[in-house]
Amino acid sequence: MSEPPCIRVVDVHKKFGALEVLKGVSFDVHRANVVSMIGASGSGKSTLLRCINYLEVPSAGAIFIDGESLGFREDHTGRRTPRPLREINRMRRDLGVVFQQFNLWPHMTVLGNIVEAPIRVLGMSRKDAVRVADECLRRVRLVDKANEYPARLSGGQQQRAAIARALAMRPKVMLFDEPTSSLDPELTDEVLNVMRELAEAGTTMIVVTHEMAFAQVSDRVLFLHDGSIEEDGHPDQVFTAPRSERCRQFLAKHLR
Amino acid sequence: MSEALKQSLDLALFWEYRAVLLSGLLFNAGIFACAGLAAIVLGLTAALMRLSRTRPLRWIGTLYVELFRNAPDYVMLVWVHFVLPLLLGFALRTRVEFHPFVSAVVALGLVYSGYFAETFRAGIESVPKGNIEAGRAVGMSEALILRRITLPQVVRRMLPEGLNIFISLFKATTIVSLIAVPDLMYRVSMVTQQEMQPLPLYTGAALTYFAVIFVVATLLRRAGERWRLGTLI
Repeated sequence: MSEPPCIRVVDVHKKFGALEVLKGVSFDVHRANVVSMIGASGSGKSTLLRCINYLEVPSAGAIFIDGESLGFREDHTGRRTPRPLREINRMRRDLGVVFQQFNLWPHMTVLGNIVEAPIRVLGMSRKDAVRVADECLRRVRLVDKANEYPARLSGGQQQRAAIARALAMRPKVMLFDEPTSSLDPELTDEVLNVMRELAEAGTTMIVVTHEMAFAQVSDRVLFLHDGSIEEDGHPDQVFTAPRSERCRQFLAKHLR
Repeated sequence: MSEALKQSLDLALFWEYRAVLLSGLLFNAGIFACAGLAAIVLGLTAALMRLSRTRPLRWIGTLYVELFRNAPDYVMLVWVHFVLPLLLGFALRTRVEFHPFVSAVVALGLVYSGYFAETFRAGIESVPKGNIEAGRAVGMSEALILRRITLPQVVRRMLPEGLNIFISLFKATTIVSLIAVPDLMYRVSMVTQQEMQPLPLYTGAALTYFAVIFVVATLLRRAGERWRLGTLI
């Protein structure tokens, strides 16, 4: 039997009150694949990403990480019981998240931000955690800023530090939620370059982005519209011959 | 200068009784420390209840804060010392009596926990939600997030306000003489009864309190600012 997909999203719905933001979304992500999610604001792509690690709890549907369901346990008879928060927390370690607003902890240095979870959550020794942090900082080219506080860094540097923080947990999948949207245009490249390198190194990634240049180099592009996947394919196909009219319109606006 | 005025500014009498009087300060300090600790623990608990997702907990938290924040400390002190033991005694069907020190700590701890609760709540609400989500995303438990992410930022933010509450609390410890805790003020009245010269003793007490509060608060404020500015955005 082939290995289960790294991430399997099955018929995920999300409602906020009467507003249905996700209307049944399903897709698989395989190891070492880079999937970009594009779409207009309000299309549900960020909500979908947040559902994948249960920062938002789906109203219906299921998320599987390496074949194991995130929200519930299933016994041999197929009966489902909700997973306690403790187990959800344990499974979340496998999903690194990079946020639009970086969300670095302002009272800790860059190094402090990176070693915090490996020490407190994974139980790593401080020495080991610092070694892992050094390696992650090298990957995002931020070794010289290890002892700075986030407030003293540029947006691009903060986002690279946030990427290093997520990498330090050695996650199976990296989730990026519009990682360059709150950066000045001249700072987006340094973040995108780091992301490209991660992709080339075989990191499994799901990226919500407005950067079509990045979407074009991913393995697969999902176009979301109004809470559903409208287009799903290789970037060559999606960007040159989209099947959906809405996707065509969206790309016409964003590809210039 | 009139004789009375001259006498009231003459600190010789206060100096003569300095050992007895100043050892009363230890009671002020002890009550301050115990009530301050109680106020912080209870205040944080009440703040977390007010911010809870469970509605009944929110109600209890709000009721608690409003009750104690709006109770005058003198009234609370008398009520805790004289009425609460009767109520407890009635409920437990036994005779209950509070040591004055205990009553003082309980009363002041409750009143000042009301102030701390509001300060904690404002501080916790000011921590960006993204900071907490980042904690969840790396698999931290809610308790760990509170301890490592939220509270360290809250403490830095509430430091100036918290220091003011502590100063008020220290000042409030001077009313415990009313239920016969032998603090500085209590001892001043005792010596007064013997010497029949209240004015210089009260002047001495006022100057002592002022000096203690001024020096300690200034040192703490300086240390706090240095620590806060070093690390806060």
